[in-house]
Formats: sequence, C-alpha cells, structure tokens
Amino acid sequence: MRATVRRRHAIEAPPGPFRPEFWRSPLRGPWLTAVLGSALLVLVGLVAVTGFLSHAAYQPDLGRNALVRPDLPLTTFFDWPTGPSWLYALTQGVHVNAGLVALPVLLAKLWSVIPRLFQWPPARTAAQAVERGATGLLVASTGFLFATGIANMQYWYVFRFDFVKAHYYAAVVFVAALAVHLVVKVPVALRAYRARGVLAPLRAGLAETVPEPDSATVALRPEPPTISRRGLLAAVGGGSLALLVANAGQSVGGPLREIAFLAPRRAGGFPVNKTAAAAKVSEAMVGVDYRLVLRGGGPELALSREELLALPQVTHALTLGCVEGWSTRQTWTGVPLAELARRAGVPDAAEVAVGSLQPTGVLRQATLARNQIADARSLLALEVGGADLELDHGYPARIIVPGLPGVHNTKWVATLEFRA
Amino acid sequence: MRSRYGASPLHLLAHLAAFALAAWALLQALQLGGWQRIALWLAGAVVVHDALLWPAYTLLDRLARRGRPAGWANYVRVPVGISALLLLAFFPVICGKGEGTYTRVSGRTWDGYAARWLLVSAVLFAVAGALYLVRSRPGSSS
Repeated sequence: MRATVRRRHAIEAPPGPFRPEFWRSPLRGPWLTAVLGSALLVLVGLVAVTGFLSHAAYQPDLGRNALVRPDLPLTTFFDWPTGPSWLYALTQGVHVNAGLVALPVLLAKLWSVIPRLFQWPPARTAAQAVERGATGLLVASTGFLFATGIANMQYWYVFRFDFVKAHYYAAVVFVAALAVHLVVKVPVALRAYRARGVLAPLRAGLAETVPEPDSATVALRPEPPTISRRGLLAAVGGGSLALLVANAGQSVGGPLREIAFLAPRRAGGFPVNKTAAAAKVSEAMVGVDYRLVLRGGGPELALSREELLALPQVTHALTLGCVEGWSTRQTWTGVPLAELARRAGVPDAAEVAVGSLQPTGVLRQATLARNQIADARSLLALEVGGADLELDHGYPARIIVPGLPGVHNTKWVATLEFRA
Repeated sequence: MRSRYGASPLHLLAHLAAFALAAWALLQALQLGGWQRIALWLAGAVVVHDALLWPAYTLLDRLARRGRPAGWANYVRVPVGISALLLLAFFPVICGKGEGTYTRVSGRTWDGYAARWLLVSAVLFAVAGALYLVRSRPGSSS
C-alpha cells in the first residue's frame, strides 16, 4: 500500500526534492529527529522562560516601565526578587547563551526533517494542511527570534524596528506554535524512542549505521553512511560548545570575559553600557549646581552631592546584568534607598519613580517596587570600587538594586519620587 | 470527522487555539512602526534557511565529497562546519557590522574579532588534520 502510494506520487511530483529518491542520507529518521527535538526543546524552553522572566524583571506594571505595552495580559503576577544580586545576570546569561547553544541543534533539527518541506502532494488531508501552517509559524518565529536576538546582542540594528516589542510578540507566536507542535509530535517522538530505545542507537558505530525503518523522512534510496548518528550528534555538540566558549565569558564576567573570544563585551575593565556623551549628559549638568530632588510626603528636598555624602553610607558588592547577556560585579558605596524614602517622608514607600539628567530616551526613567526600596542593599550609589563614580558610570549618583535589569539602575539620577 | 478532516477534533481545536494566540501577537506586531520589515523578517527567516542556507551547505557537502574516499569527509566538514557556525552566529562582530553603534554608546572599539575567528578556525583545521594523520597511519586501529 505504502509503496504504491509512493510510486504514484513519484510519477506526479515535480523533479528534484519533491521526489522521494532525491533524499539520500541514511541518518534521517524519527529517532534522530526525536533526539534533536528533545535537546532543542530543553534549550528553547530555557530561552523562552528566561525571556519572559526578563520581561517580568522590567516590572512593566509600574510607572512608565512597560517597553511593550502596559496592559499586556499575564505579564506580572509576582514581585521581581532582589536576591541573589546576580539573579538577572543569571537569567539573561542563560537566555543569550542557551540561545547560542541551541543554534546548531536547531539547524540539525531542521536538516533532519527538511524532506517534509517538499512532501508531495503538499497536504493529503485538511489536518496536514493545518499542521503545515503551524509548522510554518514555528519556523518563521524561531528564525526571527534567533536572527533578531543575535543581531541585537551585537549592536547590529539592521532590522530597523523596535527590537523589544517585535521580539516579544514573535516569542508569543513561537510559544503558541511550539505548544501545538508538541501536541502533534511528542507522540511521534515517544513512538520512536519506544521502537529504537532512547540511547541504544548511539551504540552504533559507522559500520553499524543503517537507515531507520520506513517513515516519511527515511530515505528510499540511501547512500552508504559517511558518519554515525553519534558522530553527527557529537559534531552538533561541538558546534554548541564552540559558541558557548566564544560568548559565555562575558556573561560570567571577571577574568573569564577575555576567554570569550567573540563576545561583544569581552574588553577588560568595568564596561560602560552607555557613555555620558551618548546619553547627552554634560559636565555642566553634574557640576556644583547639581541637586538631587527628593519628592514624597512632605516638602520637596534638594540635596547636593556633598549633602548626599553626609548621609549614612553602606557598601555592597553587587552584580549588574545587562539584557544583552553580559555582567559585571562591582563594590558600590552609597545611601540606602530606604534611608532616602524616610527622608522624603514615605518610610514604607510602595514605589519610587527615578528620573535621570539624561534628556531623552525611554530608559531615562524607571520605577522600582516596594521590595526593591526596602532591600538594605539597594543604593543610590555615589562611589564604586572605593572611588567617586566616573561620569560614564553615572556621576554624581546612580541607582544600584540587586537583581535588577542593568538599564533600570538609572545613571545620573536627578529625581526620586517616592509614593506610599 | 476523522475521515474527512484527517485527524481527531482535538487536533483541529489545538491548532485553532494556537492560531488564535499567534494571530493576536501578529496583529499587535503589525501595528508597530516598521511592520513591513517585521513581516519581511518573519518570512525572510524561512526563505533564508530553506532556500539559501540548507541548499548551500548541502551542495557544498556533496561537491566536496564527490569522487573522494568516504574516510576523510568528517575531518573536513566538522571543522569547516564549526568555523562556519561561529561566523553565522558572530557575523556582526567579526565583520564589524555593529561597531559604529557599539563605539557610539560604549566609547570602546572592537578589535581583532576577525583575526580571532580566523585563528580559532586555523586551530580547528590543524587539530582535524592532526587527528587524520594519526588515525590514517598504517597499523592504526581505526
């Protein structure tokens, strides 16, 4: 039955990849696809979860924090924690690095199923047509997320649209398409594991590598194998390892940064996300006339840097993690935000809107939550590493809150508005 | 139902649910500035992989293996593949595509990325060559 169906379609199909004889690799088959798909599922699962966690870490329900839109459903139903201080560096490091590690697995997975792209006829039933539509959405959104993520982490804004919004909505398309793909394909993968064993095919060396039993992706006219399945998986793993080594050092920070031979933020020292010049903050704006304006319950307070230095100071080692997947750990000294809340007359503040001297840009302001103000390690930092902040690091004063996304640690702070 | 549709009603319902959620997200995305470019990148992702990347590497692999003994293919395609993968993932730093923006925002420059990529590639080729030499020696077990 199967053979007659295939023969009939071989006659009708256009030449080339639409004919089953075109496909020659003896490695393709449901077991190989199941293994690659399982590995890919774990990796993209990590990437998706940490991606949506990053969205939550920006606390879009507060003030003008929302970068996508303020009224998104299912956005925040928990307070982003303030500990450990490397929390955001970890989640975003996992996001970027697991994405890079997934890239070779994704390419291998697509290679393993590509005969399906050319199946003839394109759909035998309405159900197949519907499934192909979902697969199209899955491949398009996955490719979009990888391409835009990889370009964005390397400052190549070639796409010329709002990265954050487009990456977010593409991720929603991806999650929808992946969920339905799993509904359809998990049973197929489980059948392959039951039939062939989960790991048993890995025992086969090159000489024992034979095509899997008949299925849609198994070649009708296989060539002799040139690599075993475990060899192919090892090569894919080698590719993943190379990408990880090339980048992960910038996520860990410290001396490992320079091992990361292709990481955009591998340069030594204390990285600057955005210089004062790029933010249009001049020396004149932070001179003797600089005042930090505190608003809250009582009258407005205007504090000079000397007055800020006269307030109680604490010192903490805290990690700054960037959405681009790099981090840096520094020792910060400054006034606890809780102390400033008390002085503003709002001792148990529910939130604080932080404004910067930076004149433009959506990230010239950020709103912090109650748990972040209350944490004793949350500072209006005046010094780093035992010296005054440099202008590029936010002089005269910057926010530093443990676990907060890097850009929400506002630099060149001009106003703090506490609300009960 | 199954005979005409080709699967159970659950199959259809699961897909309709996914399509509805995806349609919501796509409609949101298509209201953004530059929505034409977003649509182009979504479609482009499929085209670039299925019509460029996959045919290119498949063709290169077939050409490289044609008429040659099967034994040495992997010594070439594994290091070439990893080198190409590094270029694919780090093309913007290797070719300096994002350097203007990076320098403008951070005040720093990117140095030596292309050189490090070439050096790492050279090491990969050298290691593969050494492995081939060792394993193809007369009397070697493999």
